[in-house]
Amino acid sequence: MSPRQSSLAIRLIIIAALLAVMLGLLVGAKTLSIETAMRVLLSPDGKIDSILVWTLRLPRSLTAAAGGAGLAVSGYVLQTLTRNPLADPGITGVTSGAVAPIVCCFVFMPLISPAYYPFIGLAGGLAAAAVTFWVSRGGQGRPLQLALGGVSVSLFLGAITTYVLLRTGPQSASLLFWLAGGFQGRSWSHLFYMLPWTIAGVVGALLLRRIIGMFMLSDHAAAGMGLQLSLWKPLILILAVIPVAGVAPVAGPVAFVGLAAPHIARLLKPRGTGWEIGLSAALGALIVTVSDLLARSIAIPRELPVGIVTALIGGPVFIYLVQRGRLSLAGETR
Amino acid sequence: MAAALAVLGVLSLAAAIFLGVADIPMADVVAVLTGGGSVEARLIILDIRLPRIATGILAGIHFSLAGYLLQTITRNPLADPSLMGVSQGATLSVTIFLLFTVYIFEPGSNTLAELPVAWLPTAGLAGGLLAGGVIYLLAFRLGLSALRITLCGVAVGAVLHAVAIGLIAGWGSARIEIILEWLSGSLYARSWDHALFLLPFTIAGLVTLPVLYRPLMLLQFDAPVARSFGLAYKRQFSLVLIVSSALAASAVGAVGPVVFVGLIVPHLARFLAGPNFTLSLVLTIVLGAVIVTLGDLIGRLLGQAEEIPIGVVTAVFGVPLLLALLRKTM
Repeated sequence: MSPRQSSLAIRLIIIAALLAVMLGLLVGAKTLSIETAMRVLLSPDGKIDSILVWTLRLPRSLTAAAGGAGLAVSGYVLQTLTRNPLADPGITGVTSGAVAPIVCCFVFMPLISPAYYPFIGLAGGLAAAAVTFWVSRGGQGRPLQLALGGVSVSLFLGAITTYVLLRTGPQSASLLFWLAGGFQGRSWSHLFYMLPWTIAGVVGALLLRRIIGMFMLSDHAAAGMGLQLSLWKPLILILAVIPVAGVAPVAGPVAFVGLAAPHIARLLKPRGTGWEIGLSAALGALIVTVSDLLARSIAIPRELPVGIVTALIGGPVFIYLVQRGRLSLAGETR
Repeated sequence: MAAALAVLGVLSLAAAIFLGVADIPMADVVAVLTGGGSVEARLIILDIRLPRIATGILAGIHFSLAGYLLQTITRNPLADPSLMGVSQGATLSVTIFLLFTVYIFEPGSNTLAELPVAWLPTAGLAGGLLAGGVIYLLAFRLGLSALRITLCGVAVGAVLHAVAIGLIAGWGSARIEIILEWLSGSLYARSWDHALFLLPFTIAGLVTLPVLYRPLMLLQFDAPVARSFGLAYKRQFSLVLIVSSALAASAVGAVGPVVFVGLIVPHLARFLAGPNFTLSLVLTIVLGAVIVTLGDLIGRLLGQAEEIPIGVVTAVFGVPLLLALLRKTM
């Protein structure tokens, strides 16, 4: 795709995401008509429909969109950095690394303000990613090594999280709902809490697109182009974890979005790393908004956690990638 | 070596019988074992500790043998029931079973007391086998490639896990605690019924081992090499996968997903046995039983009244070992 087509594609996907957000204003326990939704959206009147749209549905959908964009960019950066098509915040253990210490803080140190959770998530996610990367030699060993290393780290943290939950008692129900990943009841404050991290991740990736692009070649080539690897590798890894640190405290683990969105973006063959990042972000926003829409409209009045929906969408994408031999990118052996 | 192992086995067994949160003097334990003892001591030893130990031994054999078989046929040193979706399949079916029993068995009521917990192992078994079957079908279509079967296992496992957590969160209500207890992999309150549930599978697994012996040796090689030795590759691969899934799924059903035993024990056994294939197989079985017994004892003693589930103990000890292995072997 030429840059013009890419920017058209991004605009189309953003419009689709906005349409999904709009649809999100209509659907729910009480269905609103388009006219009503538009009317209260443009001139809020403090009545029930207006409250429904402005304090429940709009912030929730926007939080989902921003979270999706952040996860997708994180996945894109991880995949490029490791040149491994299976890299994703979930698979590399970053998500569980961010989630487990937050659960522990919530249970054992309830006095710590939630304002610190993104920093705790950042530290935990970085630690988990560092272990996975150490095991898989920078993620550039066999794809299997990265996947198994990350899954093992996740299993380990998952066992501890389950145990903590088991000892928590009545609180465990709300923690569990958060652990299933979702946007139910997310408000403006959640959105503004998450937004700086998402923006830092997306804008940071766009600004550093040339350096991220260099990693696509190989360490040798990047070093040959004058890139100081010992400096940039850890920095780019931190950049990849930043959006997850924002999303995890708000939405919990939302699986497979970071894996699927960049792959779909690359299928569109945009020219240039910047466009790929932009497309990934837009697609991530679209996927999570639509998933959230499905999650809350399938089983009205109950809700499915959005994590189920994204897993059911992302799992087949993963298997498709494996089947299509797309792994050859990182050198499949056997 | 065999003697050292026998001593280790006997010692861990003795420790598991003699030690526990309830302080019972040694003489009383011996009295119970020889048919005497107080009512209280008999209750604790015969109805709590011994069935728990028996279930642990059988489950340990299941996990380690399942891991050994999986690792051999996928030629992947890191195969383990918990990395291949079997555990997650069992988890999901147990979750669904616990959530929906209320509609099936006692419509309208919401009490935990009458949950048909005795059916949990069967539900776990069914789900684990189903997940194993799905992964097998995917792998079969992919030409039984070791890499792809593992990656599919990882993906299927992640999806099943997400769905299970979602269901618990959405509909768990009063059952959350019992599901979490089971999810962390525990031998707590396991009775003779659990041991008896596992026994037929243990026997079937051990009986098929001599039949699988030669195919297993050949399955360590690439498909063409194995075929040139006259091996019906796909048939034998399928057979081993079925035995392995049945062992793992039944064990997960009985004690919950105890992670990493199936992964670590075969490595330990191969490390100790060297190139001796028979010895490594025997060691896998013995060490599986010993490690689960010891892990459970550690969890009981460390946690005291609020014991630490065996799944947590094995995760904490298993993961550092696994990560070191992962970096070294691949």
